[in-house]
Order: sequence, then structure tokens, then C-alpha cells
Amino acid sequence: MSLFARLAELNTSGERGVLFTVVEGDGIGGKELVLESGERVGGGVPAEAMVEFDDLVRRGRNRLLALDGGTRVFVEWYGPPPRIFVYGAVDTAESLCRAAKLLGWTTIVGDARGMFLTPERMPSADVLIQKWPEEAVAELAPDHQTAVVVLTHDDKFDEPALKAALASEAFYVGALGSRKTTERRRARLLEAGVSEEQLARIMGPCGLDIGADTQEETAVAILAEIVAVRSGRGGGPLRESKKRIHVEVA
Amino acid sequence: MREILDEVERWREAGEKVVVATVVATRRSAPRPVGTSLAVSESGKMCGSVSGGCVESDVVEHAMAVMQSGEAKLLSYGITDEMAWGVGLPCGGEIDVFVEPVE
Repeated sequence: MSLFARLAELNTSGERGVLFTVVEGDGIGGKELVLESGERVGGGVPAEAMVEFDDLVRRGRNRLLALDGGTRVFVEWYGPPPRIFVYGAVDTAESLCRAAKLLGWTTIVGDARGMFLTPERMPSADVLIQKWPEEAVAELAPDHQTAVVVLTHDDKFDEPALKAALASEAFYVGALGSRKTTERRRARLLEAGVSEEQLARIMGPCGLDIGADTQEETAVAILAEIVAVRSGRGGGPLRESKKRIHVEVA
Repeated sequence: MREILDEVERWREAGEKVVVATVVATRRSAPRPVGTSLAVSESGKMCGSVSGGCVESDVVEHAMAVMQSGEAKLLSYGITDEMAWGVGLPCGGEIDVFVEPVE
């Protein structure tokens, strides 16, 4: 199978990988696809470009690498869209899923309470998982392209859900709740054996400070924070940002 | 390049040669993110884009040349004094476009 035919397959197979192309310098035109599974197709790309494969595949972005000697290698990322997993089938969960669908992401909602977790209440969820937090997180297996948001407002669900999410590779772990709830949750998770380092990963209360009032505004605030975390940005106004507008590519 | 792969495969299955042009670097402002591609077939079919339409016609000319030579090349577009009325980007950005034959 040709390299391009294999690439076309990736759009539907859901496999993750990186396509390296030498665009300047020695060996211009060299092209090699490296998949997370270890499969390689093509060739002619300096090994130096692939040293940071793990990091490149995790970042989920295209970029240009400058190697020693003036060679430049373009990195194109392949993989399924990011996933957002919301535990707690509350109103905000539906709003969050609806907003995430706009970005083309895959949406999953979990809740142990079947009365809350219905397709009628969560029409924008691609998948519903009716399970207790630990089992729901285990079934979903969050990876480095998964954001987890915990929204039940009930300690007996929120805490195990957060604990399980923190044990995963999820790139974002967020929890709704007042500052008081956040403080109480923190104390209880510490008691439950979660380390300070792990706790620092929790974005709680989650969302950017945009004065969100309605469910929909709250969803936008949370989703904007998720995108910012994925891009390694703080989320402030562009007018006040000294960085370039688009995510750095080199 | 992902967005044009299905179309490129269809052209190739129909026996056409294909050249793909991809935005690989942007400086300052730019109309399309890196990784966006324009594909051109031997018979002149096109799909995708590399800008908002500002440099496409020039890229297509280069693509046809690459179709003949079989050799990939890197193009750069930006606004300079000489180029202000020629091919360039009105937004004031610069883009590098890699043009390559599909093997």
C-alpha cells in the first residue's frame, strides 16, 4: 500500500501518528509516517527529527522542526478528534457536549443515575456510560487526547471520578463547584491518598473567568479553558497577549 | 493534508498524477493554519486551499511544474514592496508552501 493510501485510511481508522516530511535541505521530499503502534511507512527522514515523537504525538498539533544544518522537517499530526468526557448528566453536561460538537470533538457523558442519563436529556452526547465513576472512567480509558470534566455536584460521585481521572493521562481534569466546595474536595482527596502534585492538575473551579451566568455560557467558559490547556496558553485577551496569535509552529 | 486525502485517492484511482501543496510555516498573520493543503491533478482538478485565494493561482502554476519535473520544492509568500501588486498576502503575513508530487 502506498503512503498516501495509508494516510487516507487514518482519517477513519482512528489510529494516531505523525507524518514527517523533509521540506528544506538535504533529502527534500523524504516522507515517513510513524504510528503510535510502531508501524512505519515510507522513509528518507533523518532520525533526529523523530527523537521527540512521543511529545509530538501528544501535542496533537502540526509544526515545523528546524534541524541542525538547515534541514527543516514538517510534522503533520494524524489522529481522531479529542474526546471530552463529562461525568454527571446535569444540564451543563449537555451544553458542554453541544459546544464541543462545534469543535468536532467526540462527546461522552457518564452517570450512575439512569434517570439523569438519557439520550433525551443529553442529545449532544455521542456515547452514554451508565456506570459508577471508577467503572465509567475505566471503560473510557482517558488518554492524552481526552479532557475529563466532573459535574455531579455530589461528593460521593465527584471524588471517585476525580481520583480515577487523575490516575489517567487525561490532558485536562476539571471540576465545577464553589470555592468552598473546591477547598473541601481538596482536603478529602488528600485524605484519600491523592498527592499534592496530582491535585495540582485539577482545574477547579473549572472555566475561564468570563462572567459566565447561563449553562451555555458556563459551557463556553469551560471549553475555552480546555482548548487553552491543550494549546499551552493562559486564555487571556489576545489584545493583551505578547505571544503570536496562532499556536507556535516552530 | 488530511482534508484532501480522500479526493486525492479518488483521482489517483482514476489514473491521474497528483501534486499536493501544503502550508508548512506561517509568520505573523496567516489565512490558513499549517498543515492545510491544496491538491492539483494532471487534468487540472483542484481541491483544498493554502490561503484565502491570494496565492492559489501561483501555487497551481508551480504545482504543474512539479508535476513535470517530479521534484518537490518550497515556496515562500509574503508582502514586499515589489510584490504589493503581485502575488502576496494582504493580511501582511508570510507563508511557506511545500509542493510535492504524490508518489
